[in-house]
Amino acid sequence: MNVQIQAEKSANAGMDVAEEFVIETRNVDVFYGDNHAIKGVSLNIPKHQVTALIGPSGCGKSTYLRCLNRMNDTIEGCRVEGEILLDGLDIYASGVDEVLLRARVGMVFQKPNPFPKSIYDNVAYGPRIHGLAANKDELDDIVLTSLERAGLLKEVQDRLHSMGTGLSGGQQQRLCIARALAVRPEIILMDEPCSALDPIATAKVEELIDELKENYTIIIVTHSMQQAARVSQKTAFFHLGDVVESGPTEKVFTSPEDERTQGYITGRFG
Amino acid sequence: MSFYPLLIVLLLMSAVGYWFGSKKALGAVRKSTNFITPRPHQFGLYVVIWALVPPILLGAIWILMQVTPLQMEVGLSQQVNRVLFPVIVLLAAGGGLYFSLQKIGPDLKVRKTIEGLVYIVLILASIISILTTIGIVLSLLFETIQFFKKVPMSEFFFGLTWSPQTALRADQVGSSGAFGSIPLFTGTLLITCIAMCVAVPLGLLSAIYMTEYASQRFRSVVKPMLEILAGIPTVVYGFFAALTVGVFFRDIGDAIGIDIVSESALAAGVVMGMMIIPFVSSLSDDIIMAVPQSLRDGSYGLGATKSETVRNVILPAALPGIVGAVLLAVSRAIGETMIVVMAAGFAANLTANPLEAVTTVTVQIVGLLVGDQEFDSAKTLAAFALALVLFIVTLCLNVIALLVVRKYREKYD
Ligand SMILES: Nc1ncnc2c1ncn2[C@@H]1O[C@H](COP(=O)(O)OP(=O)(O)OP(=O)(O)O)[C@@H](O)[C@H]1O
Ligand SMILES: [Mg+2]
Repeated sequence: MNVQIQAEKSANAGMDVAEEFVIETRNVDVFYGDNHAIKGVSLNIPKHQVTALIGPSGCGKSTYLRCLNRMNDTIEGCRVEGEILLDGLDIYASGVDEVLLRARVGMVFQKPNPFPKSIYDNVAYGPRIHGLAANKDELDDIVLTSLERAGLLKEVQDRLHSMGTGLSGGQQQRLCIARALAVRPEIILMDEPCSALDPIATAKVEELIDELKENYTIIIVTHSMQQAARVSQKTAFFHLGDVVESGPTEKVFTSPEDERTQGYITGRFG
Repeated sequence: MSFYPLLIVLLLMSAVGYWFGSKKALGAVRKSTNFITPRPHQFGLYVVIWALVPPILLGAIWILMQVTPLQMEVGLSQQVNRVLFPVIVLLAAGGGLYFSLQKIGPDLKVRKTIEGLVYIVLILASIISILTTIGIVLSLLFETIQFFKKVPMSEFFFGLTWSPQTALRADQVGSSGAFGSIPLFTGTLLITCIAMCVAVPLGLLSAIYMTEYASQRFRSVVKPMLEILAGIPTVVYGFFAALTVGVFFRDIGDAIGIDIVSESALAAGVVMGMMIIPFVSSLSDDIIMAVPQSLRDGSYGLGATKSETVRNVILPAALPGIVGAVLLAVSRAIGETMIVVMAAGFAANLTANPLEAVTTVTVQIVGLLVGDQEFDSAKTLAAFALALVLFIVTLCLNVIALLVVRKYREKYD
C-alpha cells in the first residue's frame, strides 16, 4: 500500500507539469428519449493516468463512460450532443467509424462477460476480427502476452482451451481485461469492474490497473471511495447528470470544494 | 325418470343446499370465537360439493358397469335400471346434503375441503390427457400387430413398391396389394428436406433481423404479423400450393424446357416451408433474445460490427437452441397432412427428383382411410402401421429437440 501511495504522490507531482489530455469533452448532453441523463458535462482525461468517476446511483456515470466509445449508439433512442475529442478529433463527427473507435477505446463491464468459448478464443476474438495477427504464431503471442499483462497467464496456462465461462468470477474479469488488451487499445473504460468480485480478486484487479496505467489511459467508474482513492490520480464527482467537481484525487478526497462532494464522500465513510 | 329432469333436480338440490349452507354458516360464524372463519359462501360451496360429487361418482360407476363386461355379471333388466339409477343418484345427493348441513359449524375446515377438491380436479384433468395419449398409442399398437399378421414386417419396412389396392373379389387380378413403405418415407423425406431448405434460412435470417437489426417500432408491427401467418389454416396453404405454386413451377419449367409436373414435390415442399417459416422464426427469435445482452456489449466493445457479432457470438451461443427449433420444425413438416394431400398427390414414386410427383406417409394414411373400408382388411390396417411409425419418428424428434433446448436454457439461467 505504501508503495502505491508513493506512486500516486509522484504521479500527482507530475501532474503539475503541463498535462496532456487524450480525451476532451465539452458540453456533452445525453438524452434517452426525453430523459436528459447528462447535462453539459465538460471533462478532460489525462493521458496514462487513472481517472475515477464517482457519484450516487443513476447520476449518469455509465452513460458518460459509454459516450467515450460510442457504445450508446447501440441503445435505441439515445442521443448525444456536444463535443468529444479523442486526440483532438471529434469522435461523433460524421465519417468516424465507431467500430474502429471501439478498438482504440476498449471497455470492461460491470459483470464479467466472457464469451462461451475457450479462454484462448476469448482473448483471440478481437485480434481475429481486426486481423492483427498474420499467422498462428503471432496470434499465440498476442494471446499469451495479453493474458500475462492481465495477470492471468499463470493460472490458466495449462487450460487455455477450456471454457472461459468456467473460470471464477475474478478470473473471468481479468480474462475480460485481457480480451480488451488484446486489441491494443489506447484507452480502457471500466464500468464498476470489481462490483461482482470478492476483496481478494478486487485487490488483484486494482493492482493490475495500477500496472496498466504505465501504457494505457484508464477511466474507471466505481462506487467504492476507497477504491477510487487507491487507484486513481484524477477524480470526477457526478451528481444528477452533472460534474460537480473534478481534480486530483488527493484534493477531491481531502479538501473537496463543493459541499455535495463533501457530503457524498463523508456519508460513505460514516 | 329420464336424464334431463334428473339433472335439473340435482341442480335444484344443490342450489337449495347452497342457500341453507350459507344461512346456517352466518349463524355459526357469528357465534364463533375464532378470529378468522371461512366466509359464508365457502360454506355454501361446501354443501354444493357434497350434494354433487357423491351422485356423480355413483352415477359414473353405475354407467361404467353397464357398458363394460361387468354388465354380464350384474345382469339387471332395462326396466329395473330405469328406476334404480335415478333413485340411487338422488339418494346419494340427499345423503350428501344432509351430512354436510349437519356438519356446518365454526370448527369445520371448509377451506381445506375446497382446496382438496380443486387439487383432485386438477390432477384428474392431467391424468385424462395422459391416459388419452396412452390409449391412442395402444390402439395404434394393437392394430399394427394385426397388420403384421397379414403382411410380413420385412415387406413393410424394406419393400420398394406401394400399391395397397387389395381386390374386392377373389378372382380379380392383382388381388394382393404391395405394402412396401419405403417410397412413402423417401417421399416424406424429400418434401421435408425441401421445406426445411426454405424455412430454416428464411426463418433464421428473419429472426436475426428482428432481434438484432430492426427498430423497436418495426418489431412491434411485424412480429404480430408473422404470428398471424402462423395462424392461417393449412388447408389454405394447400390451396395455394395446388392451384398457384404448382402451376407456376410447371409454367416456369415449360418456359425453360424442363418437365415439371404440377403436383411436384418441389411445389408442396416450398409451400410447406413457407408455412413453417413463422414457426422457425418465432422459436429462433426467442432463443436469440435469450442470449444475454452482456455478450453483445462485450463483442461491440471490442470493435466488432453487428454482423461479426451475430456470426461469432450470438449464433454460436444460440446454436443448440436453434438446432432444437429446427428439429421441432422437421417433426411438424413430417406430420403435416393437408398441404401434401392437396399438392403432392398419391403417386408413390421412389425418386429423389423434386420435379416429379411423390407422396407422403400422411397422404397415404388419408388415402387408405377415406371411403368405405372393411375395418380388418390389410389396406385399412396399413394406415395404423404407418401412423405408428410416424408417431414414433416425430416423438423421437420432439424429445431430442426438447432435451437440446432445455440443456441450452440451463446454461444462462
Ligand atoms: N438504456 C437506457 N435507456 C433509458 N434510460 C437510461 C438507460 N440507461 C440509463 N438510463 C437513464 O440514465 C440515467 C443515468 O443512468 P446511468 O446508468 O448512467 O447511471 P449510473 O451513474 O451509471 O448509475 P449506477 O451507479 O447505478 O450504475 C438514469 O436516470 C437512467 O434511468
Ligand atoms: Mg452504472
